[in-house]
Amino acid sequence: MNRFSWASARTISEAAAATSMTVADAMKAAPDAANGRETSVVKAGGIDLLDLLKENLLAPTKVVSLRDIAGLTIIAEQTGGLRIGSMVTLANAAVHPLVRQRYPALADALQSSASPQIRNVATLGGNLLQRPRCWYFRAAEYHCLRKGGGHCFAISGENQYHAIFDNQSCAIVHPSTAATALVALGATLELANSEGMTRNLLLEDFFVSPDRDLQRENDLNPQEILTAILLPALPASLRMAHLKQGEKDSFDWPLADVAVGLDLVSDRTCRGAAIILGAAAPVPHRAKAAEKIIVGRRVDDASAAEAAHAALNGATPLTKNAYKLPLFETLVRRAILKAAIHQ
Amino acid sequence: MIETASAIIGAVEAKEADSASVVGPDLAPISLRVNGVVRLVQIEPRMTLAEALRGPLGLTGTKIACNRGACSACTVWLDGATVCACMMLAIEVGTRSVTTIEGLATGDKLHPVQTAFIVHDALQCGFCTPGMVMSCAALLEHKSDPTADDVNAAISGHFCRCGTYPHVVSATLAAASARKA
Amino acid sequence: MAIDATTRTEKFPYGIASVGLGEVERQIPVEEPSPLPPNAVLTVIGKPVPRQNGRAKVTGATRFTVDIALPGMLHGRILRAPLPHAEVRTIDSTAAARHPGVRAIIPIATPGDPATAIVRYIGAPIVAVAAVSMAAAEEALHDIRVDYKPLPFVVDMDKAREPTSPAVYDSASAPKGHVSGFPAAAGLPLNGNVRGPATDVRGDPVQGFAQADAVVEGEFRTQVQTHCCLEPHAIVADWRADGLTVYMSTQFTAGVRHELAETFGLPLNSVRVIVDGMGGGFGSKSSLGTYGRVAVALSRQAHAPVRIILDRKEEQMDAGNRPGTWQRLRIGAKRDGALTAISLVSYGTAGVTVGAGIGNVAQAMYACANFQASQHDVFINAGPGCAMRAPGNTPGAWAVEQAIDELAERLSIDPLALRDRIDLSPVRREERRIGAERIGWQQRHAPGTDPGPIKRGLGVAQSLWGAHVQINCACEVRIMRDGSVEVLSGVQDIGTGIGTVMAQVAAEVLGLHIEKITVRIGDTEFPGGPPSYGSRTTASITPAVRTAASRVLQSLLREAALALNAAPDDLVARDGRILVRHDLSRSMSFAEAAGRLRTDRTSAVASRSDDYAGFRQRMEDAAIARQDLGGVQFAAVAVDTETGIIRVERVVAVQDCGRPMNPLLIESQVQGGVLMGTSYALFEERILDQHTGRMVNPNLEQYKLAGPRETPAIDVVVLENYQGQSATDAYGIAEPASIATAPAIANAVYNAIGVRLRSLPITPAAVLAALGKVPSGNSRT
Repeated sequence: MNRFSWASARTISEAAAATSMTVADAMKAAPDAANGRETSVVKAGGIDLLDLLKENLLAPTKVVSLRDIAGLTIIAEQTGGLRIGSMVTLANAAVHPLVRQRYPALADALQSSASPQIRNVATLGGNLLQRPRCWYFRAAEYHCLRKGGGHCFAISGENQYHAIFDNQSCAIVHPSTAATALVALGATLELANSEGMTRNLLLEDFFVSPDRDLQRENDLNPQEILTAILLPALPASLRMAHLKQGEKDSFDWPLADVAVGLDLVSDRTCRGAAIILGAAAPVPHRAKAAEKIIVGRRVDDASAAEAAHAALNGATPLTKNAYKLPLFETLVRRAILKAAIHQ
Repeated sequence: MIETASAIIGAVEAKEADSASVVGPDLAPISLRVNGVVRLVQIEPRMTLAEALRGPLGLTGTKIACNRGACSACTVWLDGATVCACMMLAIEVGTRSVTTIEGLATGDKLHPVQTAFIVHDALQCGFCTPGMVMSCAALLEHKSDPTADDVNAAISGHFCRCGTYPHVVSATLAAASARKA
Repeated sequence: MAIDATTRTEKFPYGIASVGLGEVERQIPVEEPSPLPPNAVLTVIGKPVPRQNGRAKVTGATRFTVDIALPGMLHGRILRAPLPHAEVRTIDSTAAARHPGVRAIIPIATPGDPATAIVRYIGAPIVAVAAVSMAAAEEALHDIRVDYKPLPFVVDMDKAREPTSPAVYDSASAPKGHVSGFPAAAGLPLNGNVRGPATDVRGDPVQGFAQADAVVEGEFRTQVQTHCCLEPHAIVADWRADGLTVYMSTQFTAGVRHELAETFGLPLNSVRVIVDGMGGGFGSKSSLGTYGRVAVALSRQAHAPVRIILDRKEEQMDAGNRPGTWQRLRIGAKRDGALTAISLVSYGTAGVTVGAGIGNVAQAMYACANFQASQHDVFINAGPGCAMRAPGNTPGAWAVEQAIDELAERLSIDPLALRDRIDLSPVRREERRIGAERIGWQQRHAPGTDPGPIKRGLGVAQSLWGAHVQINCACEVRIMRDGSVEVLSGVQDIGTGIGTVMAQVAAEVLGLHIEKITVRIGDTEFPGGPPSYGSRTTASITPAVRTAASRVLQSLLREAALALNAAPDDLVARDGRILVRHDLSRSMSFAEAAGRLRTDRTSAVASRSDDYAGFRQRMEDAAIARQDLGGVQFAAVAVDTETGIIRVERVVAVQDCGRPMNPLLIESQVQGGVLMGTSYALFEERILDQHTGRMVNPNLEQYKLAGPRETPAIDVVVLENYQGQSATDAYGIAEPASIATAPAIANAVYNAIGVRLRSLPITPAAVLAALGKVPSGNSRT
């Protein structure tokens, strides 16, 4: 790690003002702090940040902690839904009674992430903003497209864990498992800047796909802090499930994860659906064709299978990740049935 | 030289109360409450808790094996919750309480998990053992009657090359029973 | 027959306890102790005694090499090659030398030096520095300017075999092998990157195949696996005017001591190697290594202790690995199962070095008059391989045990029945019998017949491992005047708990409670110990402990005899007392007897004698016993055919190790072997990017290892197999316990889904592909 100075912000404005640039921008800046430029970034749980620092992918001159800012660790009901402060740890969110009762699929997604030790420290905000796990991206020796270089090493290289959609320029998968569930349940984000102005937007719209900008994964502005994740009130008729499949169950990133939300009437006819694929694309991938098939149908083995098959429409697997197609198809089908029938 | 720990702590806390006061990048004194004792230590902001424990604090029981939070060998308790000390900066611990493997026994009296590990041979080379013990002991603080699945969940972040997982599970379940008895 | 005054005749227990014990007569050296009875009648040996160093380990008190900090100690770091193949043209360390924290710089690659100027893998060491802090050392490395001339490289073994491939070596620079045959034979031809073949022929394989009623043939692949020791490679070197002391995470204190003496021109008596806690080796920490040599050189230059600890990337890229292999195996048999011919062709890669042989499973496990093997090393520009837990036999068994399984199906013979027919080992026969019952082999169904997406299956595989013995090793046992006892040897505990086993032996001989025995190991100040590789530690050192303890007991009994008015031969040591055998009322405590010693302590040193009936093979300081070690493992798996996920639900491991010394520690070893085998089967792979030659997963996150949730239920059964070959008749188990797991899993997967997976690791991607579920082409409309 490079040498950096440390400060602990007491207010959101202070934190926002203290961050000269986003981590994404900072990673494109020369890693040599000796050129005199001050770069400061914020630190939430620090799990992703410390990894980037230890890999010398990031060399800020200053790190500003968000830990002492009041109000960011609160989980509270809000207009029938739930407000989760961005500094709430994955562990605390996963076990919170209101999360478990009202958004059990989110609790599942959180509980399946990482390890107990990581969950005790990693924050939900940090989890959503973390940078990709692509092993070329994570190695300073590869100056890849996403870091401002000229080439994506994964497309012609080791891409077994990479995207099967939207992968023609940069093949990362979005690394947040929680995001898959949050997009499915229509979460919004609250962001605040140094003047105290806030903006809200749908999480789904916050992610940036490579064709818009392949050097960042999200719409966070410099001098802006993610302050809360807002979960809408869900109708009683909404059923959700999240499934994650790692190569192993003990502490692994997903090969594939799926979040399904189904608005069902009493005979299990679906009148609304969200089918989101994680670890499939650079952003959480909405399987629109699958949603179209299941809406209006009674959910059963046949309709679930049909929707699951359609979920992979448009997939463009790379040389080593075509196995994700049958894997996702299975997970989508099982998640649909779990949401509808086995709850 | 340290006059009294409390005087220095007071000074450090007062410093922290200044407007977003900046520490480092050079060495700066911080106080850390480790195993019930407040210790003063010189750290750079970039120093991890694991490095601070193993270096200036002389507590080498906490091991660094991967230095990326992927193996959990460096597990300590932070206010009773398990964390990877290699993924925590010493400077951010603040007033929270750190418990390391050295702080688990009470004098000569081993923690029930430690005793059970010995009896059930839940260790081999011993390098992953301190972290493993901390995770299993933490589990028993929160669950007096864990199942094997609970133990596996608690140690799911741990990597042991020698292959102690089966005995770790039986030892932890035995320790839980012994505690209840 | 002439009477030999140097030997005497003794009867030893012989055979497998669960089958029925008999006796065997041996001529043993007169100074050897009497035959040790079977475990059932012993007090401490063969009992599940907890580790003596357990308390230190569970409290974090054990000092591993990474924990050692000497006064004035410097921190060493190594600059490593960023290119897979390059000529080092210039190295400019002047800026690093000027860094205020730097105290020494040692070049490793020297421009212009034909032996070192070419680096051949990413991570190859270039130059080392020692500085006052890790941060200063890192900064200094950053200041070193190296000019590389890139050279063409190859990292794919198949491509490296092609005649047009970039060459890793020319014939002058290529590794030459060794006359011992380890890690590879000397004098083999080199064609491009392919060295070999090393050939082996027995009988007439051509005829054998012609006579066969059935022939199975298959191609198998195994991946490169890295050791992933939890404690990285580490050394603290303290060069002083009066001698060199080295603390090292090593599997062989005595060997490192010799290497240091030779490398630095020092007499043995001024070199000391010490290890207390040792965080895993698995074959990767058997020698001094470049990092070790460099740490000593830095210490000498800096006149200060130097510690080098490899970080996890260095561990993954340059601390050794299990070579990957491609094998074509052909087996021919008669209708009744008798084997008529075995033919094996293998290509393996140990990166820039040699040693990718696949061992002797195909040659030695089953009776077959006609055999041929043709093995090759293939050089690629990747980190050098080295021994890793059961080298050679592990990839070898992967192929053989699947081929035998396939043969059984072809002949419509049960796989166990086939092995009963062709496997001459009575030990493995008994292991098969016990294991089959435990796993419920009778319930095994035809392949792929479970309905539904989750399909279960049972599989079996066997392991074979030479019983290695280190002849050059010794132990000292001391009795103090207060009756306390010390056992001393340079042997190291790499996680097996050998110190406890040694204490058990001494306690048994001396009739003491084990807590009275203090064991001091891991220091070359003590009598030289065996290496802890090859699963030879227990076999090598425990007889020496018993012999030394028996000898020192004699000196004590001589004192006690005077006091008890008996002859020394009339006395026994038991329950902390010395008693007259035929009149137990005449006795004294062990401590009382010790109090009569002439001096503060009395001691005896003993070394490992030859096996009483001789060895099968002898190589300088080491030997291989007449009887192999082995085991039979059964796996029960559940395959999710819709996700490709394999769950190993249960493994029954039936193993042998001569006389089991401590069933508690042995169970841990076997579980560890099964877990390593499971991990090898399903998850692990060193992955190299073809375009840049770099390992893309040099960490413990994307290099995947079995964790708690991947752990099967493991049933361990250990036979007592007495052979009457030494003072303890004990042998090792670590490697035999890790060989059979992967092929047992593969055979179980075949039984579950009716499709055979021949390449490691068996990932979900591989399973789905084998089931025909992965689309080819790159789009889906």
